Amino acid sequence: MAEDLVLDTAIRDWVLIPLSVVMVLIGVLRYFVSKLMRSYQVPDAKIVKEGQVIVRARNLRSGANFIPSKAFRARRIYFSNEENGLLFVPKGQAQNAQAQMFSDPNMAMDMMKKNLSMIIPQTLTFAWVNFFFSGFVAAKIPFPLTQRFRSMLQNGIDLSTVDVSYVSSRSWYFLNLFGLRGLFSLILGEENAMDDTQRMMQMSGFGFDPTKSLSAEKDGLDIVQHEWALPKFEQRAEAVLRKLVS
Amino acid sequence: MGHNDSGGSEKKSSESANDIQTFNAENLQSNMKVIYYSRTFLAIISGVIAGILGFTGLTGFIFYVLIMAITSLGLVAKAKFSVHSYFDSWNRIILDGFFGGLMSFVLFWTFAYDIVHIF
Repeated sequence: MAEDLVLDTAIRDWVLIPLSVVMVLIGVLRYFVSKLMRSYQVPDAKIVKEGQVIVRARNLRSGANFIPSKAFRARRIYFSNEENGLLFVPKGQAQNAQAQMFSDPNMAMDMMKKNLSMIIPQTLTFAWVNFFFSGFVAAKIPFPLTQRFRSMLQNGIDLSTVDVSYVSSRSWYFLNLFGLRGLFSLILGEENAMDDTQRMMQMSGFGFDPTKSLSAEKDGLDIVQHEWALPKFEQRAEAVLRKLVS
Repeated sequence: MGHNDSGGSEKKSSESANDIQTFNAENLQSNMKVIYYSRTFLAIISGVIAGILGFTGLTGFIFYVLIMAITSLGLVAKAKFSVHSYFDSWNRIILDGFFGGLMSFVLFWTFAYDIVHIF
């Protein structure tokens, strides 16, 4: 560091602190707005039923070794029987469900709403920061960085002689954007963090076919190697008790 | 950061060749959430402390690593030193949330440091 810049305390009072406070408040506001806009749609009975069947089959698979093999075989046949097993999907129905999924306009609407509630506040805040606080050296990060970070941290001021660790107000906005995520999850609860991941899941799962997961679960159930765990538990209990006694 | 007592009854009983999963997924998730919360909280608090004390450069990051190590120790102590009855691996306690907290740490470190020392 050649020489330290002297920053006006007015910059602290009128740029640094307001910017951070506004970022926090906008985050809180966004959370409540998206909560208000969230529409509750009545889930389709058939889809719920299929989901529950999958959950039950999965439970059976994970707990397979805790029941006798006869009981396991009976349950497996109940699920994956070729004629009327719960996981068996007739060929004709598969296409139908997918088509129905695509033509559902509610889903696309819901997704768009969620996206908008994400994008609009960010664009507005960025515009606001650009308009009000452009060109301020707002902060200084307390560790040295290489020249590569200049474009990242000094976005908005075109001085090549300023030390890289000084941060412009626009870049301070970006730092806030990423760093406040942890704070939001603390003050707003888990839902806020969940929202993003849920959105991602919905996006990737658009046009997702429930019958496919049914047949996948069926295959998974078919290849389970059953081995009853409980006979070994007697020896295990004996070992534990012996350890306690000695 | 209380742990749920129902999670304590999970037992690792996979001594047989095929490892049987005897974890309750919900309890495991709840435990991980507790870890995430405590890590984020401590990252923010330690950022503010580091800023007020005026750490710069490497000192601050060492401070962060130290705090995270203390957090891990605290979590292990909270799990009564039997990690495997609450989590499926040691990595959960030692590494989870480390890098997520780093961003919050840097932000609050910078913020406190600027307010106290720069202006």
